[in-house]
Amino acid sequence: MEFLITSALNGVIYGMLLFMVSAGLTLIFGMMGVLNFAHASFYMLGAYFAYTLSGIFNFWIGLLVAPLLVGIIGILVERYLLRRVHFYGHAHELLLTFGLAFIFEELVKLFYGDYPVNYRMPDVLNFAAFNIFGTDYPFYRVFIGGVALAMFISLLVLLNKTRVGIVVRGAERLPQTAQALGHNVPLVFMGVFGAGAALAGLGGAVAGAFYPTNPNMALELGVIVFVVVVVGGLGSLTGSLLASLMIGIFSSFAVGLDWSLAGAFDWVGLGGWARSVGGLLTMSISSISGAMPFLLMLIVLLVRPAGLMGSKN
Amino acid sequence: MLSRRAISTVAGAGMALGMAVASSAQAEPLKVGIVESLSGSQTSTGRLYATAARYVLEKVNEQGGYNGEQIEILEYDNGGNTSGAAAKVRQAIADGVNVIIQGSSSAVAGQVSEDVRKHNIRNRGDEVLYLNVGGEAMELRGNKCHYHAFHFTSTAPMRVGALTQVMSEQGDLGDRVYSINQNYSWGKDMQESIEARADEYGYEVVDTVLHEVNRIQDFAPYVAQIKSANPDSVITGNWSNDLLLLMKAVGGAGLDDITFGTAFLDQVGNVANAGQGAMGNYVAHPGNIELLSEEFVNDYQSMTGHYPVYVEPGAVNGIKLFTKALEKVDFEGGDIDVNQIAAALEQATLETDLGEISIREGDHQTVMPVVVSRVSKDVKYPVDGTDMGFEPIEVVSAEDAIFSVQESCRMRRP
Amino acid sequence: MRYKLPLIALLMVALVAVPPLFGGGVQYALVNALIASLFAAAFNLLMGQGGMLSFGHAAYFGIGAFAVLHLMQAVEYGGLGVPTVLLPLAGGVAGLTGGLFAGYFATMRAGVYFSLVTLALAELLYSLAPHWEGIFGGEAGLSSMRMPFMGLNFGTTLEVYYLTLVWVVLCLVILYAYTRTPFGRLTQALRDNAQRIRYMGYNAHATKVVVFAISTTFAGIAGGLMAISSETANYSIFSTHISAEVVLYTFVGGSTVFFGPIIGASIFTLFGFVVSGATNAWLLYQGLIFVLVMLYAPSGIGGLIQAHIDQRHRLPWARLPLPYAVLAGGGVLISLAAVFFIQSVEHVFSNRYQTVVTRTGEWPDYHLLGASWDPLSPVTWLVSLVLLVPGVIIVRKAMARIHELWEDQGADVYESETAPAAGGGH
Repeated sequence: MEFLITSALNGVIYGMLLFMVSAGLTLIFGMMGVLNFAHASFYMLGAYFAYTLSGIFNFWIGLLVAPLLVGIIGILVERYLLRRVHFYGHAHELLLTFGLAFIFEELVKLFYGDYPVNYRMPDVLNFAAFNIFGTDYPFYRVFIGGVALAMFISLLVLLNKTRVGIVVRGAERLPQTAQALGHNVPLVFMGVFGAGAALAGLGGAVAGAFYPTNPNMALELGVIVFVVVVVGGLGSLTGSLLASLMIGIFSSFAVGLDWSLAGAFDWVGLGGWARSVGGLLTMSISSISGAMPFLLMLIVLLVRPAGLMGSKN
Repeated sequence: MLSRRAISTVAGAGMALGMAVASSAQAEPLKVGIVESLSGSQTSTGRLYATAARYVLEKVNEQGGYNGEQIEILEYDNGGNTSGAAAKVRQAIADGVNVIIQGSSSAVAGQVSEDVRKHNIRNRGDEVLYLNVGGEAMELRGNKCHYHAFHFTSTAPMRVGALTQVMSEQGDLGDRVYSINQNYSWGKDMQESIEARADEYGYEVVDTVLHEVNRIQDFAPYVAQIKSANPDSVITGNWSNDLLLLMKAVGGAGLDDITFGTAFLDQVGNVANAGQGAMGNYVAHPGNIELLSEEFVNDYQSMTGHYPVYVEPGAVNGIKLFTKALEKVDFEGGDIDVNQIAAALEQATLETDLGEISIREGDHQTVMPVVVSRVSKDVKYPVDGTDMGFEPIEVVSAEDAIFSVQESCRMRRP
Repeated sequence: MRYKLPLIALLMVALVAVPPLFGGGVQYALVNALIASLFAAAFNLLMGQGGMLSFGHAAYFGIGAFAVLHLMQAVEYGGLGVPTVLLPLAGGVAGLTGGLFAGYFATMRAGVYFSLVTLALAELLYSLAPHWEGIFGGEAGLSSMRMPFMGLNFGTTLEVYYLTLVWVVLCLVILYAYTRTPFGRLTQALRDNAQRIRYMGYNAHATKVVVFAISTTFAGIAGGLMAISSETANYSIFSTHISAEVVLYTFVGGSTVFFGPIIGASIFTLFGFVVSGATNAWLLYQGLIFVLVMLYAPSGIGGLIQAHIDQRHRLPWARLPLPYAVLAGGGVLISLAAVFFIQSVEHVFSNRYQTVVTRTGEWPDYHLLGASWDPLSPVTWLVSLVLLVPGVIIVRKAMARIHELWEDQGADVYESETAPAAGGGH
């Protein structure tokens, strides 16, 4: 029971973090059709900027300013790089962001070194939120979840209840019409790209103080973020949230599961045979939990490429 | 006017000097290649091995070098992975190194050891030595053992043996032990050793976990699992990020009533990450700064910029043992034959601050004492900017710590 | 066509005659360059010919390597009589099998979705392999030893080099010939207009699967050659970095030309070998070059060369050298600026330097390009700017001039856009 509750909590909070990073990517992908390989790099940059700023000023300034800086970088990338190669097609845009991801990773290594930096939460946030079954639950986890939740709600309100939201959604669905109606679609794209980058940066600034801030963090999260976007469905924020929570909760629970395919074969009396075959059949879920998101993505891509909540292919 | 005698003395000295210069010009320098993880996720550890090795070799150079020449120290970055190591070992051999030193990661150690073995089979008379200062996997001393590989570090049975013995004596081991380790050769060795000692020390292994290596961001789910198994103590061989993050999650969950027995808690940053939760946890290691002579600690500090920490004391002892062997073999400025150095190394002994260490012939494992220490505030050298450090509890003697030579090691001697 | 044969013959002579003059380290780097070339050419069969961008080609390179290692182990321990020279075939078979299976699913999707399927497949393998002891040897991987065959014991790197050379050249010839066959031309139609394939009476899906499998077969052979050369492999061969590298090589070299990827792969591997010892920032340079090429020369180095060859009768050759030289000069200035800046940062932010700073509280001078520099002086950091600004101006002017010259002659404007990269790299 206690394992169930703690794991569910951990899973939900990790899922919320995934959502924070993938929200921007979902919007950009849905809108511009660009699968931005550098998106997770914005998450990493957010963490490193916040680390530097928290060293010079304090944690809170870092938390506020780092996402803005990342947002500006996002705007510059869209305006001066992506737009230049738009002419050559999506594959080219994809490759460009791929090269940028490479450069961001190496720049971080150049300035901050090749190992984790000591970016830590302030002492005021370092306490136990509550105690379940004799285990403290760190407040900072709740904080990460809270920030992500606040972000999700404000995004929903912004997109559904405001004029900006209507223009953005219009530009996403029918760019030509929006353009004809006199809206500056390139500007909308630039704004969404910058905002998406800033959101990822915020994710990094919040999470980097808890999870390790190292040059591999973009690579590690990058592919998972793709999984979220694909599984959730093109351009669907709710879909992303669902997919994020699914993956978060799954990875949290998988740790404790000793199930394997051989166990499943026991039901039909073939367990012994499966165990003698070994290999894939005897791997426990906990040891292959890392592979599960990719399997999920593969299945979604092949069976329902529009994703859980996506409307168009 | 100078006496005839004085002139002849001067001339003689001049001639001797000239000859010395001539012979030193012909002498072959000993080339040592440090093939370490100087980039990638294990950089912090790799850098320490390289620093420790350099420290000892530069000492030898200060005292005139070896074989009439300064020892040439070359550094190669293996990038922390086996393919990088394969490339750099070849590069090092092409550069003419006689000895390769490497430490971080048993997986990389396995690669280096195998590459050296293959090179030596193919190039009789032009062999290379491999000094393993950090790879602790048993297979390196088992089916991968060979005459030209020497292992200067402890292994899972040595660390777990010492840990369980001392923790049990101190009443901190309890009846229920949890094993969490990394899913590769080293982690599996640890798990095996933990299970092997259950009967002797009267505990039950309540659960075992082998998790992915260096890929986990958040250990909270594992800590939740540990908690639900309700153990008295946890033994782990985790190192690098995997230990740092485990300690962070443990610190966050406030598991004060569970004692941790570790192999690498003394790695820089762990105590700070665990916070007060680190208190009372154990580490079994080949060296503890609290037991080292002040003279050495200060000298090391002045040469490298920091106190000898983590793997450094052990690596220093290993390379010192190697230089002791060098003293026994004199090539008189001629060609260097590593087979003779290897033979001398098998016979060498070194008196360290903890006791005598030596190499055994069966698998070239170093027989050495293991210290078991506990995190405490009663220390001379606090770590990580905290008020805590590692208080030595007991030095388990070399004879008690060592394991028996594995049957899988069939060493062919030249 | 006349110039091509003698050029290739000359290259072949150099490839055979030159390596013995170097040491083992260089020879090993050359082996890697050859393998990377074959891998990139195989990858580009899919990309350049078929228009399918795979982000998971490391998977097939990897299974080729593991297949060959299993066979090598069978030869070493089981006494199986397979000569070393034929081992790469096993890699090809494994690549083919894997490619048929993966290709069947991947080619059900097109565009970005195709890329995502290939990425997911490779990541799946990457995360499973370390746990799959029996096939991939766990975390440590597999290792074996090349066995002697007919007097050749393949003990030296030079022997391995020649073995690799023969295989790579053979495979490249086959790949090139393939692009000339009717089916090869059909592949190109896949890229340009998949609809046409259907009208011509072919099954588009089946055609794509076949192209995918041919590409992975040769990727598998490249992986097999890698296994023979390093005599080992572990799960990290499936990592995203390997998949990413081949994309980088191909596009910098130019995916529209057959020899483009080969040029890209050789330049990057060899340059990497020379530079990586001197700087840890090598991958950063690699990324910068890639992005610059993407921005200014989308058809890559090979595309640039091809454009010049195509337009050779129309170009005013006599008037080109001067602007080209000026462009190169500007490129050198920009490169110097970038190198100076990056190397300075590398020095000053390095662990070693920062240790000194924290211990002594002083920022000592560092050495670069034969002079010593004070990291706290603004002059040091102005150097880059002083090099960069005129560099950019010169490059822009020269580009405009070259553009003009090309247009004057009625040469293709699109191709002339690609000209600046000639001096833009570092």
